[in-house]
Amino acid sequence: MDTILEVKHLCKSFIGVKALKDVSLSIRQGEIHCLAGENGCGKSTLVKNIAGVYTPDSGEILLNGHSYRSLTPVQAMQEGVQVIYQDLSLFQHMTVAENIALAKLKFEKNRFIHWSQVYKIAQEQLDKIGVTIDLNQTVGEISIANRQITAICRALAQDAKILFMDEPTTALTNKEVSQLLKIITDLKEKGLAVIFISHKLDEIFSVADTITIFRNGEKIGSFASSQLDKKKLSYYMTGREVEYPRYYRTVKNDTPVLKVDNLTKAGQYSNLSFSVRPGDIIGLTGLLGSGRTELAMSLFGLNPPQSGSVTIGEKKVSITSPGMAKKYGIALLPEDRFTQGLFMDRDIKENLTSSLIDNLTKHGILDKKEEKKIAEDSVEQLNVRTPSIDTVIGTLSGGNQQKVVIGKWLATHPKLFIMDTPTVGIDIGSKAEIYQQIQAFASGGMSILFISDEIQEILANCNRVMVLSEGKCVKILEEEDLAQENAAQILSELIGHHSSAGKEETQ
Amino acid sequence: MKKLQIDRFQKVLILIIVLYSIFVTIKNPSFFQIATLFDIIRTSSTTMIVAIGLLVVMLSGGIDVSFMSIALFGSYTAINLMISAGINNIFFAFGVSAAIGAVLGLINALLINWLKLPPFIITLGTQNLFHGVMTTFIGDKSFGAGVLPRCLSGFGRSSILNIGGSKLTASVIPVILVGILTWFILYRTMTGRGIVAIGNNEESARRAGFSPFRIRLFVYAYSGILAGIMGMLYVCQTNALYPNKLVGDELTVVAAVVIGGAKITGGMGKILGAVLGVAIIYLLNTTLIMIGLSSSWNDLFVGTILVISVAVTSYQERVRNRNHLIFTE
Amino acid sequence: MKRLKQFINHDLNLSILIGITAVVLLWSAVSFGTSMFSMRNFQSMAFQIPEFGFLALAMMLSNMIGGIDLSIIANANVVAIFTSYVLNGQWAAGTEGISRVLLALALAIVCSCLFGFFNGFLVSKTSAPPLIATLGTMTLFKGLGMALTGGSSVGGIIPEFAAVGKAIWFGVPVIFWIFLIVTVLLGFIMSKSGFGRKLYLYGTNATASRFSAIPNERICTLTFILTGLLSGIAGLIILSRVNSAKVGYGDSYLLQTMIVCVIGGIDPNGGRGTVWGVLIAVLLMQIMSSSFTIMSLSPYTKKLIWGFMLILVLGLNHLIKTYTNRRTLRLSMKGENQL
Repeated sequence: MDTILEVKHLCKSFIGVKALKDVSLSIRQGEIHCLAGENGCGKSTLVKNIAGVYTPDSGEILLNGHSYRSLTPVQAMQEGVQVIYQDLSLFQHMTVAENIALAKLKFEKNRFIHWSQVYKIAQEQLDKIGVTIDLNQTVGEISIANRQITAICRALAQDAKILFMDEPTTALTNKEVSQLLKIITDLKEKGLAVIFISHKLDEIFSVADTITIFRNGEKIGSFASSQLDKKKLSYYMTGREVEYPRYYRTVKNDTPVLKVDNLTKAGQYSNLSFSVRPGDIIGLTGLLGSGRTELAMSLFGLNPPQSGSVTIGEKKVSITSPGMAKKYGIALLPEDRFTQGLFMDRDIKENLTSSLIDNLTKHGILDKKEEKKIAEDSVEQLNVRTPSIDTVIGTLSGGNQQKVVIGKWLATHPKLFIMDTPTVGIDIGSKAEIYQQIQAFASGGMSILFISDEIQEILANCNRVMVLSEGKCVKILEEEDLAQENAAQILSELIGHHSSAGKEETQ
Repeated sequence: MKKLQIDRFQKVLILIIVLYSIFVTIKNPSFFQIATLFDIIRTSSTTMIVAIGLLVVMLSGGIDVSFMSIALFGSYTAINLMISAGINNIFFAFGVSAAIGAVLGLINALLINWLKLPPFIITLGTQNLFHGVMTTFIGDKSFGAGVLPRCLSGFGRSSILNIGGSKLTASVIPVILVGILTWFILYRTMTGRGIVAIGNNEESARRAGFSPFRIRLFVYAYSGILAGIMGMLYVCQTNALYPNKLVGDELTVVAAVVIGGAKITGGMGKILGAVLGVAIIYLLNTTLIMIGLSSSWNDLFVGTILVISVAVTSYQERVRNRNHLIFTE
Repeated sequence: MKRLKQFINHDLNLSILIGITAVVLLWSAVSFGTSMFSMRNFQSMAFQIPEFGFLALAMMLSNMIGGIDLSIIANANVVAIFTSYVLNGQWAAGTEGISRVLLALALAIVCSCLFGFFNGFLVSKTSAPPLIATLGTMTLFKGLGMALTGGSSVGGIIPEFAAVGKAIWFGVPVIFWIFLIVTVLLGFIMSKSGFGRKLYLYGTNATASRFSAIPNERICTLTFILTGLLSGIAGLIILSRVNSAKVGYGDSYLLQTMIVCVIGGIDPNGGRGTVWGVLIAVLLMQIMSSSFTIMSLSPYTKKLIWGFMLILVLGLNHLIKTYTNRRTLRLSMKGENQL
């Protein structure tokens, strides 16, 4: 088979990060090529360089035999490169039909729009993959799985030769995933090169012909998928043979810190009940939109539940604002570090004390000495690598940024720390450090609600796991369940469960 | 999308207009005649044109408050040129004014693209800059009816329809043409879809192959062209030209377009909405005296409508966002 | 020398601003000599600064939270109209002399805060975009003034109040003292208080501040109340200087306040800038304004210059930002190599 895409010695840096270090890669026609690696290892950056979104610092990209120093998005499309980003890049207020056809018509340099043609193109693509969606609905009105399909159709409409898909399965149920994987295999039969980006091992093995592994912006190697097994792959991805140290609860006090009874919010989650003891690290897992983040927001006062009760210590409480959550000793490390967790163009000190301003204020005046002390202590305790506490936070690496978010809430001495996917976009070294810190907090008596969909990290850090699917609690796994040999597999099956399948389980 | 759709928002506007008209008619039956309608059409025709231009800018996610300056600049320069060269041709007048408008609009677009700052502040700067350049380097004399080229007042006075002595001004022709052209651009051309696309999501539009820069150039140039046309139409109607008119009325037009349902964040807005927004403002303007209030009450009503419509639509969106766990302010 | 360099790099905008102000002062000294550098001219400048200065501070606050307040001038004028209705006896409720002045002041403060609160409510509780929300309230406040006055000016106020506008204390107009005190107080609040810190953080990233348990709604509303109050004070000063109030006074200030904020280093996207920068920018603006008066430039030429200046300063800021970003990138790359 012919090589359709070749990358040679590509480098790319951003403020504070070397995202790609001398990466070379080649991809053939009609293969499914997986780019594997943990979050933030440089996979997405590579794709954006090939698609012409970023300009590489150095290196060469060969497409269909044409050499480029850097590409424009239009050049990339002319070479048949199509990318489906994680955010799907759809237009919310436009119809499905227009979303599918617009880019093709634009690409063909059509000056005028004929709506009959738009609908024709859209229908053709849907027929190609044998799916039906109402073309007249706006994208804002359809399900995430259908949006994914809309995005694929858009790529097909443009005659894609090389199709990149960036983590396409994050928000899909198992059933939807297998439908998607089937579509991808069909596309491969038609001669497309599909580059599938994922950090989920099962998916990678079920479709990939070739697997290229990234770590910390470097390519570790390319392998035929038959050359690897899960263990080897995960070793290459994480760079360590031993798994992360396993957490065991040692705190003896069993009085619950938080009790949640039948908590319900229509359309998000229903009848959730659980309790958290000091020293618990409770894993909260499920797909995107399964209710995990929704629940976290409710406990943090940003998403008031409709019924059910939350008890903190002995007292039934209704938490209506983050300020109140803070008062009850609840902290939240949000999912989106860049917009929710940090003030990117402010310094470390201000970020670290942002949740403490009221505590630092006497008679309305900010105690800057105390502020400095707290900031210095946090930096030392969490081992944040920075020249000084006056450094602008945006210049730090992801791992160090995340430590600051942890530090800013740690300084409020929370009883319950909710961490929503705390290791997204963080390098391996910092990841291990953060796990260590989290486990140390818990051993010191803090309770932690650990939200994640990376199974390995849940197994390593949690002593109980609650699995959510479509807003319902599918199962709570206790310490014994997690200790079993096949715990990882059980967990991954539970996470992907469609709720109908979930019902069978409970019967 | 294929058919002309009237959404809920516009239905509310139409309802308000109808109810208010009934109210005025009850108070003062002399309102209900064709002459009132024609009068409102004549006075609002100039504003309609710039409102449509502004709608296009707002659809792309921008804003323009320099169009009145551009309108004045274009018409003033064109007329100076015509008087000194002795040209008396209506098409020349509109053509030159529109061409100048296009150039000034392009300057706006270039500045916005270069500085990457809120377009409101930039166009507020160019509003003053354009007006200052015109008055300093081109002239600040006023022209009365006698010196202006004849063709202008001729066009301003002419009518296309005469019902029982009430005349429908010929100024509706450019308004209708602009409306149809804009509709065609927005719904039938790739550039038009690109405008809506960058208003929806600029990054996605870029990935789909649109060039936000080029679209911005088009959008602000188009707004400039319409402003140039509007400036000349204004001169035709008033049959006089002062170097200090028009400038300062921008924000009323912004209010009209926002009342018409256009979003300042882009991607949403309809031509019919902008037209209805302008209609409401001029309806109030002409009828307040009929219901026993002076025209001084105009701003109070316009302000109230604007505040209520903005508060209601923003609040609905906020609730929707919060339910999707989006916490942008 | 090194410390100077450090200071300049610490706040490049402010340093450049101080430099420009010095140059303009020097230039006006050379060009106009005593017509600029005389006690009389300084005093007349000190009389002119406060009304504009307060409006600039109001605009600054709204810019700092990433918003804009178009209603400040309408607010000032309507407050002035209300006040003069009290002061000329129409709404005096039987008060006389000093008690009437006190009543007028109380009404002015309450009204301006209410107007500000209304803006704050719209922006914080309904998430209306500040530009559009305040365009609405600007029209509304103006409309209120128009409906009350029909567009004519309201005068005939008692002389006790007007005296304040002309009073001089230690050779400096009282209203200028007031402006200085309020500016210093505001500068202190912004840089030293918990509220100031929250305001900066909210302006930098409102979502992150919500997730940091900062009460966004309260900060936003308080900021707009302060904005309203400052506009109200501007209205009172206008009234005391002009002896009458009317809708539409000082409409051209809107552009000038924005220029002053931009020159003073306020980022219109929020979270950046200091009161001191704006103070220096206000002084610079007044020096230029006075120079224009001495040169007897037409209002049109002034417009040209102001418009040009806004674009120029925005352009300069953009270049400076690109430069600092590059420097940060360079430094951070260096830092990474060392680690």
